[in-house]
Amino acid sequence: MNDESGHEVSGVDLGRVWTSVAAEVWRRHPGPVERLAARLLRSPGLARALLTTPSLLLPWLISTAVVFGVGGLVNLVGGEPAAWLLAPGLAAIGIAYAYGPGIDPAWELASSMAVSDRMVLLVRAVAVFAVNAGLGLVASGITYWATARGLQAAGGHDTAAAATAVTFAWLIPMTAVCALTLAVAVVTRSASAGALTGVLAWAGTLLASRASSGAFTAAVTDSATYLPYLAVAACATAVVVYASHVPRRMQ
Amino acid sequence: MNVELTSVSRLFGHNKAVDAVSLDAGPGVLGLLGPNGAGKTSLLRMLATVLPPSSGEIRLLERDPGRTADRRDIRRRLGYLPQSLGYYPAFTVVEFIEYFALLKEVPPARLPGAVAAAVERVDLGAKARSRLRTLSGGMLRRVGIAQAIVNDPDLLLLDEPTAGLDPEQRVGFRALLRALGETSTVIVSTHLVEDVGAACSEVALMDSGHVVFRGTPDELVARGEGHGIGDAPLERGYSAVLQATRAAARGDGVAA
Repeated sequence: MNDESGHEVSGVDLGRVWTSVAAEVWRRHPGPVERLAARLLRSPGLARALLTTPSLLLPWLISTAVVFGVGGLVNLVGGEPAAWLLAPGLAAIGIAYAYGPGIDPAWELASSMAVSDRMVLLVRAVAVFAVNAGLGLVASGITYWATARGLQAAGGHDTAAAATAVTFAWLIPMTAVCALTLAVAVVTRSASAGALTGVLAWAGTLLASRASSGAFTAAVTDSATYLPYLAVAACATAVVVYASHVPRRMQ
Repeated sequence: MNVELTSVSRLFGHNKAVDAVSLDAGPGVLGLLGPNGAGKTSLLRMLATVLPPSSGEIRLLERDPGRTADRRDIRRRLGYLPQSLGYYPAFTVVEFIEYFALLKEVPPARLPGAVAAAVERVDLGAKARSRLRTLSGGMLRRVGIAQAIVNDPDLLLLDEPTAGLDPEQRVGFRALLRALGETSTVIVSTHLVEDVGAACSEVALMDSGHVVFRGTPDELVARGEGHGIGDAPLERGYSAVLQATRAAARGDGVAA
């Protein structure tokens, strides 16, 4: 290791020159997506943290696409719109594994950074929602296209209409399930515990919906459920904020 | 003072990892010595604003880490090397250091120069574009040191920085520490008393969560005069202080 920057030859600091050359050679130019994210988030650090999230990389995106693809196929042959019913659970898993000790290998280091770990968490959560919402819209469009072409089974038109409605409606239950998942993950410091809780809570909600109204889809289409979902989301968010808060006693 | 601790304690369940520690430090290199479980890592984690204290008061760089705006400012001026450096295996050396420089909010215009300077200071220029998964343990430790110093920190916290470094690298690292300590407060937790003797202007010795000695390396050496345990003068001082402390604890209280 060098404690001095280099040698001087005829008044030229070679160490400084080399460092300048190295800086240019090693310089990494951010891609257009990162530049756009940095502009939107007004933070190059946050943009880099978002785009290097291990759980938002290829495996997560592939698994999301596969689930939506399978859900779309299920719709085409009739029955419940599985993709939209699976989406909240899928998003919950994505949220749980987006951040935390044991998930992010450099979590301890990241916790000591000026860019708040809570902000990193927030933008990652928004990214998970955005990707799910985008894929949901694509799946919805495909369902409509299939209906128009007469590819769907008998009774498919109603299913397609319901599917379009839930594409937007599931964002509300998804918010509640994701917030609950995050709260459990933060409190227990275990992404798996959070993911399991979120998935079980959503499965329980679907079963209850089926028992009370005869259809799983009532869990996302019944507007009477929206307020309870939002209340759960608000409570869980408060738990996350409290649990990830650096106590005032640090003063 | 860049570091001011007043009666700081940290509990994990019923275990008191840090017990009513009061400590201050200005520019210079402070070596934090002590046996396993003495509370060194917990103390460093609190100074790094990663772990809040259970009680007591902490001020860093004349700011209050309990306040969000102050904490952000402290973190911009902080360098931290954890005991166990987690890393992203697919990142290159430069990408990893740049990533944390961005999270420390180093201005983008200064970024390439700061990263290159940090890489050169830890002598990793030849490996700048290598993936982290291909590096040895000693090289990874140097990458960790580079990310810690990339923002020219006013407060640098290093937990076992020389673990895995070979003797030649350790000599270079000590010289780097001395250079950094001229302008910054550097706190180094280590088991290696020779690192303290060669690089530190002051020593704090911890045992069972308490700071049981604070002084210069020469003063620690003086404590060991006539003491039989240890090969080097500093080791004899280290052992003498620990034995005296433990004897006092068995008697009528903890010696400080």
